[in-house]
Amino acid sequence: MSYLGIVVTSVFASNALLTYGLGSVPGRGEEKGGRTISALALIIVNALASSLLWALHSFVLSPLKLASLDILFFALLVVPLLKFLGKAAFRSGEGRLSRLAAKADDLVVGSLVFGIALISSNSGYSFPEALAASAASGLGYWFAAVILESIRERLELSDLPRPFRGAPAMLISAGLLALALMGVDSAFVKGMAG
Amino acid sequence: MSELRDGFVPNPILAGLVGICPLVAASRSLAEGAVYGLGAALCAVALGALAPAARALVAERLQAPATLALSAALALAFGFCVRAYSSAIAAGLWLYLPLLAVSGLSLSTLRRSSNPERFGPDGRSRLADIALESLMFLLLAALVGGGREILGLGTLTLPTPGMAPARLVFSDFAPLRILVAPAGGFMLLGFLVAAYGSLVRARGRGRP
Repeated sequence: MSYLGIVVTSVFASNALLTYGLGSVPGRGEEKGGRTISALALIIVNALASSLLWALHSFVLSPLKLASLDILFFALLVVPLLKFLGKAAFRSGEGRLSRLAAKADDLVVGSLVFGIALISSNSGYSFPEALAASAASGLGYWFAAVILESIRERLELSDLPRPFRGAPAMLISAGLLALALMGVDSAFVKGMAG
Repeated sequence: MSELRDGFVPNPILAGLVGICPLVAASRSLAEGAVYGLGAALCAVALGALAPAARALVAERLQAPATLALSAALALAFGFCVRAYSSAIAAGLWLYLPLLAVSGLSLSTLRRSSNPERFGPDGRSRLADIALESLMFLLLAALVGGGREILGLGTLTLPTPGMAPARLVFSDFAPLRILVAPAGGFMLLGFLVAAYGSLVRARGRGRP
């Protein structure tokens, strides 16, 4: 598959939140200016985590026939390394960089980063393809979260039946969004983008 | 206990929405839902029992990575057991078995174990709390998986061992196939959470 196909598939057809249920449906507003930081943090953390796991998987675990232990090595090696990098960036940076590092630090331990890293390292991608897929998956999660956040803002102003206010409305909205994205099929993307 | 006597047990999973998003993809059938729920429950209870001991053994700086590695080891062990029990169920839960290490239930247990004062010095109330939450998660995962499969495909896959789990067929066509897709999973969970909220309000209890 071409890089464009990988990116489009990772953002739409195999969306981390709406297809795999990784991460969580957003439930509260973000501070002003937080969206760019969130997008950058998601892309950087996912790209770094997936690259490290891809390297570990390809050069160490697979040759030793220990590929099924990847989650353990991810928790033992990759997460502490990412945490260390996040803390180093937080200490050395000011303003946006420290906010980015703090956001990235929050993301490291969670099903989103673990899941995307496992998917991209087990999909048979080359290193640049895995990097593109994981960064695009982070972008895809951000895309879904931003749309759901906008829906939440509108729903707060609308007169919903009481039982559906809050989380139920968000889950049903996520379902409708996932239904819309089901129209972007991987085979269709492959045909269009190569 | 009074809640048990009057037939209503508050469900912390539906009230707090702990770790329910992966259910949209990990519980497409009764077998997958039940096994995923069992894995999440066992990992959470084992973590609740072992994490405080692990924290006592290692230096403070290493406590977070050590407990995360413990969680990953438990998820890995459960994954191997599921593969040995039924390769079909393990294949259906391919991504979600290792992800039990960072499921909402496991992470919430790890957060609790890092703050033992909140749950009393002996840890009994903490473990009881985790066990109840885990049981609720197991029941919810099985209910969501079974409901989606029956309504969506008209079948019910039982968590039996072997290459092909036993399947009860209720309908020779798929009545509502969308329910088996993640989109249907989100919607069903939305309706379940709404129904639970209505039930709690009807009984005069506030949502946590």
